Amino acid sequence: MSTSAIGIERPRVDGPAKVTGAAVYTADVELPGMLYAKALRSPHPHARLLRVDASKAEAYSGVIAVVTRDDLRDLPLPYFGPIVKDQPIVAIDRVRFAGDVVAAVAAEARDVAEEAVGLIEVEYEPLPGVFDALSAIQPDAPVLHEQRQTSAGRLDTPSLRFEQAGNVCSVYHVEDGDLAAGFAAADEIFEDVYSTAKLQHGHLEPHAALAYWEPAGKLVVYTATQNPSYIRIQLAELFGLPQSQVRVIVPFVGGGYGGKVHARLEPLTALLARKARRPVQWVLTREEVFLTGHCHAATVRIRTGVKRDGTLVAREVEAYYDTGAYALTGPTTAKNGGEVSGGPYRIPNQSLTSYCVYTNTPPTGPFRGFGTPQVCWPYECQMDDIARRLEIDPLALRQKNLVREGDTFVTGDALQSVGLSDCLAEVARAIDWQGRAEQAPRPPGPVVRGKGLAVMIKTTMTPSNSTATVRLNADGSATLLTSSVEIGQGTLTSLAQIVAEELRLPPERVSVTFPDTDVTPFDQSTSSSRTVFSMGRAALGAAGEVRQQLLAIGARALETAPNDLELDDGAVQVRGAPSRRLTIPQLFAAHFGAPVGSLLGHHSFQTQGGVNPTTGKAKGRASVYFFLSACAAEVEVDVETGKVRVLRIANAVDAGKAINPRQCHLQNEGSMLTELGAALFEEMVFDEGQPINASFVEYMLPSLEDQPQQFRSLLVEHPHPLGPFGAKGVGEAALGPVGPAIGNAVANALDGVRLRDLPLRPDRVLAALAAKGAQP
Amino acid sequence: MTIPIKTAINGRERELAVKPNQTLLECLRDELGLRGTVEGCGVGVCGSCTVLVDGRPVSSCLLLATNADGKQVTTIEGLADGERLHPVQEAFLQCHAFQCGYCTPGMIMATVALLAANSQPTEAETRDYLSGNICRCGTYVEVLAAVRALAGSSAAEESA
Repeated sequence: MSTSAIGIERPRVDGPAKVTGAAVYTADVELPGMLYAKALRSPHPHARLLRVDASKAEAYSGVIAVVTRDDLRDLPLPYFGPIVKDQPIVAIDRVRFAGDVVAAVAAEARDVAEEAVGLIEVEYEPLPGVFDALSAIQPDAPVLHEQRQTSAGRLDTPSLRFEQAGNVCSVYHVEDGDLAAGFAAADEIFEDVYSTAKLQHGHLEPHAALAYWEPAGKLVVYTATQNPSYIRIQLAELFGLPQSQVRVIVPFVGGGYGGKVHARLEPLTALLARKARRPVQWVLTREEVFLTGHCHAATVRIRTGVKRDGTLVAREVEAYYDTGAYALTGPTTAKNGGEVSGGPYRIPNQSLTSYCVYTNTPPTGPFRGFGTPQVCWPYECQMDDIARRLEIDPLALRQKNLVREGDTFVTGDALQSVGLSDCLAEVARAIDWQGRAEQAPRPPGPVVRGKGLAVMIKTTMTPSNSTATVRLNADGSATLLTSSVEIGQGTLTSLAQIVAEELRLPPERVSVTFPDTDVTPFDQSTSSSRTVFSMGRAALGAAGEVRQQLLAIGARALETAPNDLELDDGAVQVRGAPSRRLTIPQLFAAHFGAPVGSLLGHHSFQTQGGVNPTTGKAKGRASVYFFLSACAAEVEVDVETGKVRVLRIANAVDAGKAINPRQCHLQNEGSMLTELGAALFEEMVFDEGQPINASFVEYMLPSLEDQPQQFRSLLVEHPHPLGPFGAKGVGEAALGPVGPAIGNAVANALDGVRLRDLPLRPDRVLAALAAKGAQP
Repeated sequence: MTIPIKTAINGRERELAVKPNQTLLECLRDELGLRGTVEGCGVGVCGSCTVLVDGRPVSSCLLLATNADGKQVTTIEGLADGERLHPVQEAFLQCHAFQCGYCTPGMIMATVALLAANSQPTEAETRDYLSGNICRCGTYVEVLAAVRALAGSSAAEESA
């Protein structure tokens, strides 16, 4: 009997290509006659577009095509956007952020394209702008989008409640119990406002796309995307083509973290290629990446009522997510954040509201964590303030109020596979948590230490669809056809393990395709940590179909019933009589007359649910599963400089079942480090809409110097009934608890001094200390 | 206008005509088709484009190709000996020290340079040396493990 392919640290399929530099990313693809694109960007955060004259650029030697608003006239609707079609391919009547694309050039060489862009003449009439969500919701604020058309035919839009006026794009609201009665029954009430900053995804591969049109009219696009299926849908809509006439190919992707989930460069690259009648490559500079997508900043007001014994009785949250100039999936980000903004706690009376708000800043988009860190930061910091005032151990306070298996969440979901209490206990142990002593005053000194804890709950995209095909070859090898993207998370390896297990093949005999929408079936997207769960289920189902076919062929050939047979190491054998056995080539020969042909299996895995946009309650399930994780951190704060250093950190995630434990750890470690950067120093800075630090010189990403000395990823396994072999997603689990664990550690180091704005910059630490010192 | 240079790329002498404003990175990718070296930031801070020039790690996005005249340039493509991977490549494979892989060639080149300068780096020295190579996937635990394994094997060789 062959050994299981599940739960083992298989070497990565993409390893040899990646350690030799042979891995092909989109910008490495070159086609004969390829041109280079460069965009002209608006210097104004908000302005009317009076005149665009590209004649000098068009006449410039080496320029093959220039695209302006004049080139959009034959398109059915020149706007795109996954949820709201609010982003024009190039600006039409207005620009809405400093960096908005006004025109673009395709030229024989990069430097020619860059020079030609400078020859395009544009006249702007500057308009007043709004640069943060709270200003944007004021009644007299300038409005970014007077008209909004939502995208039809998506699974997530029926869960959303859109606004049609002002800068609020969408609202989510849910409630439970009787809020007023809950607060009336509370012994103590806590009310605070917290904020988080705009962040860069920081994928080291900049956005890149390459497009050409076949003579018969098919559009072919190579692109660094996490979402080939929706890129195809959007391009088909924009150019009025059947989906079969758009082919999207995705090579290796050099990191995404949400930043590459939606159409960014593809529409304009395709338009340039159409006009130039040549292949066009567009690769962004790092500075342009800063203008292309980022994480929603949020401001959150949180009010909580609690009994003297620590029982949470009421919570009210209002969260404002700044979605930037275009919505992208801001409405879903705000909804998903809103759903979990009360935290993973049993609270009988809740009112949770979140808003997605337009501002004149660059567009945002999904970001690892998808709305969760913005609300986890407030509820977990406030939890420690509650513990301090009530003189309860923060660990015990959390354990007392945590949701448990079978609880009904505020959305109405019955919670399954709830390993959160174990996660919290594990991380507390990992940093030697000492109970109430952790909130005791520190000995005075220039450097003080403290420890902190935090937990999180996050939803995953629901409903969604993943479809897969498994092709078994006559030699006993198999190919999984999937549109899931290898963005570093190890899809090529983990999906092969799942197929191998179902077909009882050695994993090295299973290969997983790269996405090519001409061949690979629909997938909702490589995001929301859904690939192992959803595509894993689709792959399992497709492999299961092939398995049934093999058993049927074997039953005929071995003259027995399929139920008496089993698969084993590339063969079918009679259970209990392994000498009666046919290898896969023999089975093919029995079926096709020779070891030739293919057996095909196909499966579409659909999750059902979503929320009622009026009540915010689940229709079935708001989330097919819930992420649960916990973090513990110990920090050192230099009270003279304000510098915070993380000494040790541990994050535990409930993986359901780890298909490949090493890859789960890698994903968990990556999300820990991303939020560590967000907690300590990462933030995009703007001055009246103008980017101030749009480069990696001024915007730092965590380096090995920032990695805490003790940095531990822990896995807990509470199998989920719907996941393949019990697996749940793990890729975003630390996006949430890491920030407040560090924030709570800082508060404990500083005898309760609370910082409520991320990142925890030294100047903020010093200001908080000074404010505390100034108090009588 | 171009400037002639002579440079050894991965051990092979090349005579090239480069533009005065062309970076070594552009030269490697566009003229020589060596696309394992990639651009991450364009300003020399992320380390994705690290190559060795006369054995020293350099951000090839900041070095003009003309400055490679008379020098030995080693890229990720020059490390393996035929089918046999360089020990650093092998250690990165064994330790799963990569995820999306975009920073990996640069990280491996920097590690080669680190171990050439110091075959037994302490963890603090490794952190310091490799802090110019950013991995947004956050694979530092595994990179440190790979360097530890390499330092351990060279220690074993020395004591043998």
